Amino acid sequence: MAERGAATRALLAIARDVTDDHELARLICRAFVDGLGVDGAALSLLTASVARHTLHATDATAQVLEELQFTLNEGACIEAATTGIPVFAADLGHGGEAARWPVFAAAVLEQTDVRAVFALPLQWGSTNLGVLDLYRRVPVGLGDEQRRDALAAADTAALMMLTLRTDPDTLITPAVRDGRHGSWLEPVVASRAEVHQATGMVMAQLELDAADALARIRAHAFANQRLLIEVARDVVARNLDFTDQDDVADETM
Amino acid sequence: MNQPSGSREQLLARAFVSLADTLVDDYDVIELLTRLVDYSVGLLAADAGGIMLADPHGLLQVVATSNENARLIELMQLQNDQGPCLDCFHGGAPVNVADLVEAADQWPRFVAAAMHRPVFRAVHALPLRLRGQAIGALNLWHHQPNSMPAQDLAIGQALADVATIAIMQERAIRRGEVLNEQLQAALTSRVIIEQAKGLLAQHARLSMDQAFESMRRYARSHNQRLADVARGLTERALHPDAIVTP
Repeated sequence: MAERGAATRALLAIARDVTDDHELARLICRAFVDGLGVDGAALSLLTASVARHTLHATDATAQVLEELQFTLNEGACIEAATTGIPVFAADLGHGGEAARWPVFAAAVLEQTDVRAVFALPLQWGSTNLGVLDLYRRVPVGLGDEQRRDALAAADTAALMMLTLRTDPDTLITPAVRDGRHGSWLEPVVASRAEVHQATGMVMAQLELDAADALARIRAHAFANQRLLIEVARDVVARNLDFTDQDDVADETM
Repeated sequence: MNQPSGSREQLLARAFVSLADTLVDDYDVIELLTRLVDYSVGLLAADAGGIMLADPHGLLQVVATSNENARLIELMQLQNDQGPCLDCFHGGAPVNVADLVEAADQWPRFVAAAMHRPVFRAVHALPLRLRGQAIGALNLWHHQPNSMPAQDLAIGQALADVATIAIMQERAIRRGEVLNEQLQAALTSRVIIEQAKGLLAQHARLSMDQAFESMRRYARSHNQRLADVARGLTERALHPDAIVTP
């Protein structure tokens, strides 16, 4: 594994006892600000179907950036959310990336002292878990190492948001807080093809979206004290079918 | 892939033209890499092939394989955290194994796992490199012990270089940046494609290979990107019956 950057390390230090997405968003924003040396951050939910909603902004300036984008319906964060590709705009005053959203860039320069914005989509496949906006008051981009760190950290943050979203309610128990189930979904497990394939199969079995299908698989793993990857393999091998699993499924609702 | 007729030079030329043809503005990187694996297998008389890419954590992910067996043996290396393809990536240099049985000392856990149900005996791993940095590997597998001639390895490396260009995009290379964002986009596509494979496999009782092939066929015949077809399935904008009904 490549050496972890400061932002990724800061995220990994977040304890697993968070159960509220606003609190998790606050901790994630803090980790990015500290780890990447940016001036502020905001994390918003931003999808086509769900109302736009800022979970956390580190300061008033970060809040203004979010509101401007929502109002103008353009900007780094909107682009990152719709394309799924991170945006790094090192200088809003000098064309480049910012030329794609001239109205947003002009409004930011007029209303704030922000000069650089970076937007990172937090996603798991097609599941959009939020967009993280970072800003700097100086027109300075992220270096190669910082960029790599930002992407690894965005991936880690997305898995944290996904963990929270797919945690079965009944399992936020002292056992979780004690660390017996105490980990965030890890890239090394969550990126396995079997997990994705099993998710797709359960989506078809129960007519669910990807996050809810993963929630069922995780619930089954927790309830049966098995590893996520083992349960996923059973689903892919067709040894486990969730259409027969009403009892387990009910526990997760 | 069916092996087209013609001399190898013709086949090679055809492969590059077809790949270049795919490198248009809005190409689908997973489809291109899958096609590239198929060409490499056909041109270099391998039995199977695969491409692995490094994610931002530095973990390798299998993004394209010519069949399920190739995917499984690539996963075996990742699970055991050792193997020729990992060494190729970490060292940024080709790793050629003429007979896996004789390489047990080098990668004991991987070779033991691979020989448990022996499918492949030889592998040639070629790095995907950009300005000295490895971003992944192209791996060619043989059922029987095999040592590929230097000329074949050179062709394999050329195909691996095309894969690198496909991922990084000409635009990014011209700007002189190694764009991890492009890698990220390819890896995200892969997650969606795996989910869509599962959805389709469940719906129509297909194997994962068959599900993948149906999606590719549908994407080609409807002139759509593979990733968009997969996204359509996972977001329920596209009904699985549309894919599997001929």
